[in-house]
Amino acid sequence: MAEGKLRDAGILLTAILCGVVSGMVGIGGGVLLVPLLVLIFAFGQHRAQGTSLIALIPPTGILAFLMYARSGYVSWLTGALLIPGVFLGGILGAHLVNKIEPLRLRRIFAAILFALGAWQAVAAWTH
Amino acid sequence: VFRYFHIRGSVASASHTREDKVSQAALRFLGLKDGVCMLLTILVILGLGLAAGVLVGLMGIGGGILLVPVMVYVLKMEQHTAQGTSLLILLLPVGLGALREYWKQGQVDVRAGVLCAVGMLLGAFGGSLVALPMGQRHLQGVFGCFMMAAAILLWNKTRGQAAPQPSEAENPHG
Repeated sequence: MAEGKLRDAGILLTAILCGVVSGMVGIGGGVLLVPLLVLIFAFGQHRAQGTSLIALIPPTGILAFLMYARSGYVSWLTGALLIPGVFLGGILGAHLVNKIEPLRLRRIFAAILFALGAWQAVAAWTH
Repeated sequence: VFRYFHIRGSVASASHTREDKVSQAALRFLGLKDGVCMLLTILVILGLGLAAGVLVGLMGIGGGILLVPVMVYVLKMEQHTAQGTSLLILLLPVGLGALREYWKQGQVDVRAGVLCAVGMLLGAFGGSLVALPMGQRHLQGVFGCFMMAAAILLWNKTRGQAAPQPSEAENPHG
Protein backbone atom coordinates (compact mmCIF):
# COMPACT_ATOMS: atom_id res chain seq x y z
CA MET A 1 0.00 0.00 0.00
CA ALA A 2 2.41 2.65 1.24
CA GLU A 3 5.50 3.31 -0.83
CA GLY A 4 9.24 3.04 -0.34
CA LYS A 5 10.65 3.96 3.06
CA LEU A 6 7.27 4.10 4.75
CA ARG A 7 6.46 0.63 3.56
CA ASP A 8 9.85 -0.65 4.72
CA ALA A 9 9.35 0.88 8.15
CA GLY A 10 5.89 -0.62 8.33
CA ILE A 11 7.20 -4.06 7.43
CA LEU A 12 9.95 -3.77 10.03
CA LEU A 13 7.45 -2.77 12.69
CA THR A 14 5.14 -5.61 11.73
CA ALA A 15 8.04 -8.03 11.92
CA ILE A 16 8.97 -6.83 15.40
CA LEU A 17 5.41 -7.49 16.48
CA CYS A 18 5.54 -10.95 14.94
CA GLY A 19 8.83 -11.50 16.69
CA VAL A 20 7.32 -10.72 20.07
CA VAL A 21 4.63 -13.31 19.48
CA SER A 22 7.23 -15.69 18.15
CA GLY A 23 9.31 -15.45 21.30
CA MET A 24 6.24 -15.75 23.48
CA VAL A 25 4.78 -18.84 21.93
CA GLY A 26 7.90 -20.47 20.58
CA ILE A 27 6.97 -20.53 16.93
CA GLY A 28 8.62 -19.10 13.85
CA GLY A 29 6.46 -16.03 13.65
CA GLY A 30 5.57 -16.78 10.06
CA VAL A 31 2.16 -17.75 11.26
CA LEU A 32 1.40 -14.10 11.97
CA LEU A 33 3.76 -12.64 9.41
CA VAL A 34 1.98 -14.27 6.48
CA PRO A 35 -1.50 -12.95 7.31
CA LEU A 36 -0.12 -9.50 8.14
CA LEU A 37 1.82 -9.23 4.89
CA VAL A 38 -1.36 -10.16 3.08
CA LEU A 39 -3.67 -7.88 5.03
CA ILE A 40 -1.55 -4.76 5.49
CA PHE A 41 0.91 -4.82 2.63
CA ALA A 42 -1.34 -6.40 0.01
CA PHE A 43 0.95 -9.32 -0.77
CA GLY A 44 -0.46 -12.26 -2.72
CA GLN A 45 -0.79 -15.38 -0.61
CA HIS A 46 2.02 -17.27 -2.38
CA ARG A 47 4.32 -14.26 -2.27
CA ALA A 48 3.66 -13.66 1.42
CA GLN A 49 4.56 -17.28 2.16
CA GLY A 50 7.73 -17.21 0.10
CA THR A 51 8.79 -13.99 1.79
CA SER A 52 8.05 -15.40 5.21
CA LEU A 53 10.38 -18.30 4.40
CA ILE A 54 13.20 -15.83 3.72
CA ALA A 55 12.64 -14.33 7.13
CA LEU A 56 12.92 -17.81 8.64
CA ILE A 57 16.29 -18.61 7.05
CA PRO A 58 18.47 -16.67 9.49
CA PRO A 59 18.08 -17.94 13.05
CA THR A 60 15.74 -15.14 14.05
CA GLY A 61 14.69 -16.98 17.17
CA ILE A 62 18.23 -17.31 18.49
CA LEU A 63 17.97 -14.70 21.23
CA ALA A 64 14.64 -16.09 22.36
CA PHE A 65 16.02 -19.61 22.15
CA LEU A 66 18.95 -18.75 24.39
CA MET A 67 16.57 -17.42 27.01
CA TYR A 68 14.58 -20.69 26.93
CA ALA A 69 17.75 -22.77 27.01
CA ARG A 70 19.04 -20.87 30.01
CA SER A 71 15.85 -21.72 31.87
CA GLY A 72 16.22 -25.39 30.89
CA TYR A 73 13.18 -25.41 28.63
CA VAL A 74 14.66 -27.28 25.67
CA SER A 75 14.37 -30.97 24.75
CA TRP A 76 17.44 -31.44 22.57
CA LEU A 77 16.71 -35.02 21.59
CA THR A 78 13.19 -34.38 20.34
CA GLY A 79 14.49 -31.36 18.47
CA ALA A 80 17.18 -33.37 16.72
CA LEU A 81 14.67 -36.02 15.67
CA LEU A 82 12.26 -33.44 14.29
CA ILE A 83 14.68 -31.55 12.10
CA PRO A 84 15.05 -33.98 9.13
CA GLY A 85 11.32 -34.42 8.83
CA VAL A 86 10.67 -30.71 8.89
CA PHE A 87 13.23 -30.14 6.16
CA LEU A 88 11.96 -32.86 3.82
CA GLY A 89 8.35 -32.05 4.52
CA GLY A 90 9.08 -28.44 3.63
CA ILE A 91 10.12 -29.38 0.11
CA LEU A 92 7.09 -31.63 -0.27
CA GLY A 93 4.74 -28.88 0.89
CA ALA A 94 6.30 -26.35 -1.44
CA HIS A 95 5.68 -28.67 -4.38
CA LEU A 96 2.07 -29.08 -3.35
CA VAL A 97 1.56 -25.37 -2.96
CA ASN A 98 2.10 -24.60 -6.63
CA LYS A 99 -0.92 -26.70 -7.46
CA ILE A 100 -3.26 -24.63 -5.28
CA GLU A 101 -4.79 -21.36 -6.35
CA PRO A 102 -4.17 -18.34 -4.05
CA LEU A 103 -7.70 -17.91 -2.73
CA ARG A 104 -8.07 -21.54 -1.80
CA LEU A 105 -4.57 -21.51 -0.31
CA ARG A 106 -5.53 -18.62 1.93
CA ARG A 107 -8.61 -20.46 3.11
CA ILE A 108 -6.62 -23.61 3.85
CA PHE A 109 -4.12 -21.50 5.78
CA ALA A 110 -6.85 -19.83 7.82
CA ALA A 111 -8.64 -23.10 8.52
CA ILE A 112 -5.49 -24.86 9.73
CA LEU A 113 -4.60 -21.87 11.90
CA PHE A 114 -8.01 -21.69 13.45
CA ALA A 115 -8.23 -25.40 14.15
CA LEU A 116 -4.83 -25.51 15.80
CA GLY A 117 -5.49 -22.32 17.75
CA ALA A 118 -8.87 -23.47 19.00
CA TRP A 119 -7.37 -26.79 20.03
CA GLN A 120 -4.70 -25.05 22.08
CA ALA A 121 -6.91 -22.46 23.73
CA VAL A 122 -9.77 -24.80 24.59
CA ALA A 123 -7.46 -27.47 25.95
CA ALA A 124 -5.52 -24.97 28.03
CA TRP A 125 -8.45 -23.37 29.76
CA THR A 126 -10.74 -26.36 30.19
CA HIS A 127 -8.24 -28.74 31.81
CA VAL B 1 22.57 -49.63 12.57
CA PHE B 2 24.92 -48.55 15.28
CA ARG B 3 23.74 -45.00 14.93
CA TYR B 4 20.14 -46.12 15.31
CA PHE B 5 20.88 -47.95 18.52
CA HIS B 6 22.75 -44.97 19.76
CA ILE B 7 19.72 -42.74 19.26
CA ARG B 8 17.48 -45.36 20.79
CA GLY B 9 19.74 -45.68 23.76
CA SER B 10 19.72 -41.97 24.33
CA VAL B 11 15.93 -41.91 24.18
CA ALA B 12 15.87 -44.65 26.78
CA SER B 13 18.13 -42.69 29.06
CA ALA B 14 16.22 -39.51 28.47
CA SER B 15 13.00 -41.22 29.46
CA HIS B 16 14.21 -41.37 33.01
CA THR B 17 14.44 -37.60 33.14
CA ARG B 18 11.37 -35.44 33.33
CA GLU B 19 11.71 -34.55 29.65
CA ASP B 20 10.33 -37.58 27.89
CA LYS B 21 7.32 -38.53 29.89
CA VAL B 22 5.85 -39.78 26.65
CA SER B 23 7.43 -43.19 26.90
CA GLN B 24 6.00 -43.84 30.31
CA ALA B 25 2.63 -42.45 29.34
CA ALA B 26 2.49 -44.56 26.20
CA LEU B 27 3.70 -47.57 28.13
CA ARG B 28 0.88 -47.32 30.60
CA PHE B 29 -1.62 -46.66 27.86
CA LEU B 30 -0.71 -49.46 25.51
CA GLY B 31 0.89 -51.89 27.91
CA LEU B 32 3.82 -52.32 25.55
CA LYS B 33 7.38 -53.26 26.32
CA ASP B 34 9.92 -50.57 26.93
CA GLY B 35 11.89 -51.06 23.72
CA VAL B 36 8.79 -51.07 21.53
CA CYS B 37 7.69 -47.87 23.17
CA MET B 38 10.95 -46.14 22.45
CA LEU B 39 10.67 -47.13 18.82
CA LEU B 40 7.09 -45.90 18.63
CA THR B 41 8.07 -42.62 20.23
CA ILE B 42 10.85 -42.12 17.72
CA LEU B 43 8.52 -42.92 14.83
CA VAL B 44 5.90 -40.51 16.15
CA ILE B 45 8.47 -37.76 16.46
CA LEU B 46 9.86 -38.38 12.97
CA GLY B 47 6.35 -38.38 11.54
CA LEU B 48 5.53 -35.21 13.40
CA GLY B 49 8.61 -33.57 11.91
CA LEU B 50 7.47 -34.53 8.43
CA ALA B 51 3.95 -33.24 9.01
CA ALA B 52 5.27 -29.95 10.34
CA GLY B 53 7.58 -29.75 7.35
CA VAL B 54 4.67 -30.04 4.93
CA LEU B 55 3.11 -27.06 6.69
CA VAL B 56 6.41 -25.19 6.32
CA GLY B 57 6.31 -25.63 2.59
CA LEU B 58 2.57 -25.27 2.24
CA MET B 59 2.11 -22.21 4.39
CA GLY B 60 5.51 -20.55 4.47
CA ILE B 61 5.68 -20.71 8.24
CA GLY B 62 8.11 -22.18 10.70
CA GLY B 63 6.09 -25.24 11.58
CA GLY B 64 6.15 -24.42 15.27
CA ILE B 65 2.44 -23.86 15.09
CA LEU B 66 1.93 -27.61 14.71
CA LEU B 67 5.00 -28.74 16.64
CA VAL B 68 4.16 -26.95 19.87
CA PRO B 69 0.63 -28.31 20.40
CA VAL B 70 1.61 -31.84 19.38
CA MET B 71 4.63 -31.82 21.67
CA VAL B 72 2.42 -30.67 24.52
CA TYR B 73 -0.57 -32.96 24.03
CA VAL B 74 0.89 -36.01 22.33
CA LEU B 75 4.43 -36.09 23.69
CA LYS B 76 3.25 -34.71 27.05
CA MET B 77 5.89 -32.05 27.24
CA GLU B 78 5.56 -28.95 29.32
CA GLN B 79 4.41 -25.88 27.35
CA HIS B 80 7.63 -23.97 27.98
CA THR B 81 9.80 -26.93 26.97
CA ALA B 82 7.77 -27.47 23.82
CA GLN B 83 8.28 -23.84 22.88
CA GLY B 84 11.99 -23.93 23.60
CA THR B 85 12.36 -27.08 21.50
CA SER B 86 10.38 -25.52 18.69
CA LEU B 87 12.76 -22.56 18.75
CA LEU B 88 15.71 -24.96 18.67
CA ILE B 89 14.45 -26.47 15.42
CA LEU B 90 13.92 -23.03 13.94
CA LEU B 91 17.56 -22.14 14.53
CA LEU B 92 18.35 -24.20 11.46
CA PRO B 93 17.20 -23.05 8.06
CA VAL B 94 14.62 -25.83 7.81
CA GLY B 95 12.65 -23.83 5.27
CA LEU B 96 15.54 -23.65 2.81
CA GLY B 97 14.30 -26.50 0.63
CA ALA B 98 10.83 -25.00 0.56
CA LEU B 99 12.21 -21.53 -0.17
CA ARG B 100 13.97 -22.87 -3.26
CA GLU B 101 10.65 -23.99 -4.69
CA TYR B 102 9.04 -20.61 -4.02
CA TRP B 103 12.07 -18.90 -5.51
CA LYS B 104 11.69 -20.81 -8.77
CA GLN B 105 8.16 -19.48 -9.04
CA GLY B 106 9.29 -15.92 -8.34
CA GLN B 107 7.14 -15.73 -5.23
CA VAL B 108 9.71 -14.12 -2.94
CA ASP B 109 10.17 -10.49 -1.89
CA VAL B 110 13.75 -10.45 -0.65
CA ARG B 111 13.73 -6.89 0.64
CA ALA B 112 10.64 -7.40 2.76
CA GLY B 113 11.98 -10.77 3.89
CA VAL B 114 15.21 -9.28 5.19
CA LEU B 115 13.34 -6.55 7.04
CA CYS B 116 11.10 -9.14 8.59
CA ALA B 117 14.08 -11.19 9.70
CA VAL B 118 15.61 -8.21 11.51
CA GLY B 119 12.34 -7.29 13.16
CA MET B 120 11.64 -10.82 14.27
CA LEU B 121 15.09 -11.25 15.75
CA LEU B 122 14.53 -8.31 18.08
CA GLY B 123 10.88 -9.02 18.71
CA ALA B 124 11.44 -12.67 19.58
CA PHE B 125 13.89 -11.67 22.26
CA GLY B 126 11.32 -9.38 23.83
CA GLY B 127 8.65 -12.03 23.55
CA SER B 128 10.71 -14.63 25.36
CA LEU B 129 11.23 -12.20 28.24
CA VAL B 130 7.44 -11.92 28.54
CA ALA B 131 6.70 -15.64 28.17
CA LEU B 132 9.24 -17.21 30.49
CA PRO B 133 7.73 -15.91 33.73
CA MET B 134 4.18 -16.75 32.60
CA GLY B 135 2.23 -19.71 33.92
CA GLN B 136 1.96 -22.54 31.45
CA ARG B 137 -1.83 -22.70 31.29
CA HIS B 138 -2.15 -19.09 30.28
CA LEU B 139 0.74 -19.38 27.89
CA GLN B 140 -1.08 -22.19 26.11
CA GLY B 141 -4.26 -20.19 25.98
CA VAL B 142 -2.48 -17.14 24.61
CA PHE B 143 -0.87 -19.30 21.95
CA GLY B 144 -4.26 -20.56 20.84
CA CYS B 145 -5.84 -17.10 20.82
CA PHE B 146 -3.09 -15.63 18.68
CA MET B 147 -3.60 -18.34 16.13
CA MET B 148 -7.36 -18.01 16.06
CA ALA B 149 -7.11 -14.24 15.69
CA ALA B 150 -4.75 -14.60 12.75
CA ALA B 151 -7.05 -17.18 11.19
CA ILE B 152 -10.15 -15.03 11.48
CA LEU B 153 -8.40 -12.04 9.94
CA LEU B 154 -7.23 -14.11 7.04
CA TRP B 155 -10.56 -15.78 6.47
CA ASN B 156 -12.25 -12.39 6.29
CA LYS B 157 -9.77 -11.46 3.63
CA THR B 158 -10.82 -14.41 1.50
CA ARG B 159 -14.44 -13.36 1.81
CA GLY B 160 -13.50 -9.87 0.75
CA GLN B 161 -11.90 -11.29 -2.37
CA ALA B 162 -14.70 -13.63 -3.23
CA ALA B 163 -17.14 -10.70 -3.22
CA PRO B 164 -15.08 -7.52 -3.70
CA GLN B 165 -16.19 -4.64 -1.52
CA PRO B 166 -15.75 -0.98 -2.39
CA SER B 167 -14.66 -0.03 1.14
CA GLU B 168 -11.13 -0.19 2.54
CA ALA B 169 -9.74 -2.88 4.82
CA GLU B 170 -11.17 -1.24 7.92
CA ASN B 171 -14.73 -2.37 7.53
CA PRO B 172 -16.74 -2.66 10.76
CA HIS B 173 -17.51 -6.34 10.24
CA GLY B 174 -13.82 -7.18 10.13
